[in-house]
Amino acid sequence: MNNTFETVYSNYTYILIAIGIFFLLFFPLITISEFLFFEPFIVFSIYPETTLSFLLIVILSFFSALAVSMNIYRVKLIKKTKKIGSSIIGTIIGASAGACSCGPIAFSIITTFGTAGSIASSFLNVYEIPIRLTSIGILGVVIFVTTKSLSRECKINL
Amino acid sequence: MANTKVIAVGVAAVILIVAVIAYASSYMSDFDNVQRSSQDEGQTIALTDVPVLGSKNAGVTIVEIGDYQCPACKLWFDNTRQDIIENYIETGKANLVFIDMPFIGADSTSAAEATYCANDQGMYWEYHTTLYQLQQHENDGWANIDRLTAIAFNLGLDTEQFNECMISKKYFSQISFNKQKASTDFAANSTPTFIIVNTSGTAERLIGPHPYSTFEKVLDSLL
Repeated sequence: MNNTFETVYSNYTYILIAIGIFFLLFFPLITISEFLFFEPFIVFSIYPETTLSFLLIVILSFFSALAVSMNIYRVKLIKKTKKIGSSIIGTIIGASAGACSCGPIAFSIITTFGTAGSIASSFLNVYEIPIRLTSIGILGVVIFVTTKSLSRECKINL
Repeated sequence: MANTKVIAVGVAAVILIVAVIAYASSYMSDFDNVQRSSQDEGQTIALTDVPVLGSKNAGVTIVEIGDYQCPACKLWFDNTRQDIIENYIETGKANLVFIDMPFIGADSTSAAEATYCANDQGMYWEYHTTLYQLQQHENDGWANIDRLTAIAFNLGLDTEQFNECMISKKYFSQISFNKQKASTDFAANSTPTFIIVNTSGTAERLIGPHPYSTFEKVLDSLL
């Protein structure tokens, strides 16, 4: 497993891709989850009740960065795109749980779809932690399967 | 085969779009009806009818736009509000008004109406505080009519008068007015939204459950 990580990230391009994906996901997620405010000035705040939610965002962003960058490497190496789809699904599921049910995104959904929107928004908010854990689980499996298949396929290619 | 798939997807898309438009238009017509009913009654409702916490002569007014079912509002209530009360409201520097923008579910509107029914007996802020202290998940029934009556009973309100107020929907127009003001005059599209304004009319807008440090900086700059 370590060898696979070394192989992928010995190329600095993949480290940059991973860092880029991490921040591309991390900043929007902490913004819609209202940890980061841009007005009237930049403010970052975590309340004791939201510490777990913040940690899950960090883990989700990190796992997404690993899964997607490793799969980009895999696609370039063996031209198979199957697992990149799973990692993107895992990322989307985790990201969708973030919006607060009274934030601007939820407000738009509720005012457009009425009761149905309200139920959907409440569901995403109430089950935020389990949804994020599920997506982290999916990404964990994707990373595990990708490292396994990369170590196997790299040996074959060598 | 491919054509059949395209047709099936097309039909599904059309059904979805029609369903969305129908739902949105029915929801908006409900909203229009609320606005009309409040106008038809010919009552004069103004924001001056809204209860104020603190001195009416304070240099700064904090307008909080919120929903009793909103978890971010509770987060702000639990972590920031008390410090503002101690340092700015009890010292007479600022006052606080709450404008209802109930949009999360039907119980949000009932809860907002209940606070005004409690206000008839001089217990608006006590009821407001209790609602946020008891808040649970959205739309799970924690703020249904029975629970609202139980809260009134526990606060020592005259439950007969409270129930009469709730059943007659005495403050439905007031809540509709507040909601309309929140979205039009204050352009709020999420809760909590705060408008902090001083006596010379200079205003600052905060969106979301900002920490106390943000309020401290903004309030000090406006005082």
